[in-house]
Amino acid sequence: MKIKAVVVMVGIGLLLAARPIVAHHAFAAEFDANKPIKLTGAVTKFDWTNPHAWIYIDAKDDSGKVANWGFELAAASGLMRSGWNRFSLKAGDVVTIEGTRAKNGSNNANAQTVIVASTGQKLFAGANQGQTP
Amino acid sequence: MKRSFTFMVSAAIVAALSPSLSAQWPLRPQPGVPKGTDGKPNLTAPTPRTSDGKPNFSGIWMRTERTEAPGSQPAGRPPLATFGNIGVGFKEGLPYQPWVAELLKKRSNAFDNPDALCLPQGPLEYHLDPQPREIIQLPQKIVIVYESNYGIRTIYTDGRTLPKQGEPQPYWHGYSVGRWDGDTLVVQTNNFRGALTNQPGDGWLDGKGDPFTDALTLTERFRRVNFGKLEIDVTIDDPKAYTRPFTVRVEQEVVADGSEMIEFICHENQQFLKLTGRAP
Repeated sequence: MKIKAVVVMVGIGLLLAARPIVAHHAFAAEFDANKPIKLTGAVTKFDWTNPHAWIYIDAKDDSGKVANWGFELAAASGLMRSGWNRFSLKAGDVVTIEGTRAKNGSNNANAQTVIVASTGQKLFAGANQGQTP
Repeated sequence: MKRSFTFMVSAAIVAALSPSLSAQWPLRPQPGVPKGTDGKPNLTAPTPRTSDGKPNFSGIWMRTERTEAPGSQPAGRPPLATFGNIGVGFKEGLPYQPWVAELLKKRSNAFDNPDALCLPQGPLEYHLDPQPREIIQLPQKIVIVYESNYGIRTIYTDGRTLPKQGEPQPYWHGYSVGRWDGDTLVVQTNNFRGALTNQPGDGWLDGKGDPFTDALTLTERFRRVNFGKLEIDVTIDDPKAYTRPFTVRVEQEVVADGSEMIEFICHENQQFLKLTGRAP
């Protein structure tokens, strides 16, 4: 009985989480929709902030060199509404992130999907993390 | 013993599923929400009223943006505005003054977009922002707190009239007074600063940069149609930017699931200037 109630509550919580979250952006001014990127690496920093949360990972780029990359997520307030929090990711967690690169050529991108490498679990889903180009 | 074991198993299942239930924010039980026979919120219940019989707009409201084919709005209803383009419903576009075309071109790279710069967003962007806003209706004033970009407006309903146009203190949000016309709250706002200044993030009505200037007299007609629905007809009367006034419709729905406003300090990690090459 109690398990069923808990599962129902979680289900409702996930349904309620499907709100559009934050505008705050001018995607096309910052990111290039024609420059996709996909990297896997260990988290070095997780900035739980507005107007955007940021994940930093050490990843090997195409040339095999390890470099630190920053990926922009939705706002912390929006992630919170979808049930995530500042402990959802910690330094050392290995994630695969797909996104679109920053126009200025820096090691930054806008994150579309964030997946825990070991389990395949999708993080930060339901929070409109990818901005529409 | 048996009960606590069941609870522990449930907790383990919840912890394994993500996100964890304890992280759900911030759904508190919300008093005063009319319920239907199914126990769910009844958004079509009658409009709540204050003790003096006026519609009560208090609540947290979310935009319910939708689009329709330009010019296809039903008779008697203004075209729908959107956050990115308030004139999207006008077949012929907005009635711009000639100089506006050049400004729109300049604004098309979004470098001066107040939304992205964490600046006040202008009256229509605030109405249409995907983040919530809370309307707090008091006897002598109505305060609207917009979660996005520190937005806050006071609408004085104590009978005072608008200040003279061109008062020495221009405002990002303008100066607003409201009066009742039946069940409609008619709000007038003037003394904006607007687009013709040295603040390029001022005077944006939408994401594409449709401008407003210090000549704007804004009229908003707020109607709480029923418990759940807010309609706002917004008239832009700005002869410096537009050759004639025009009106657009904004639609919002009340929050009934106990969600609350969340702090949004836009400047704490604003990367827009860096990513657009204007800061190190």
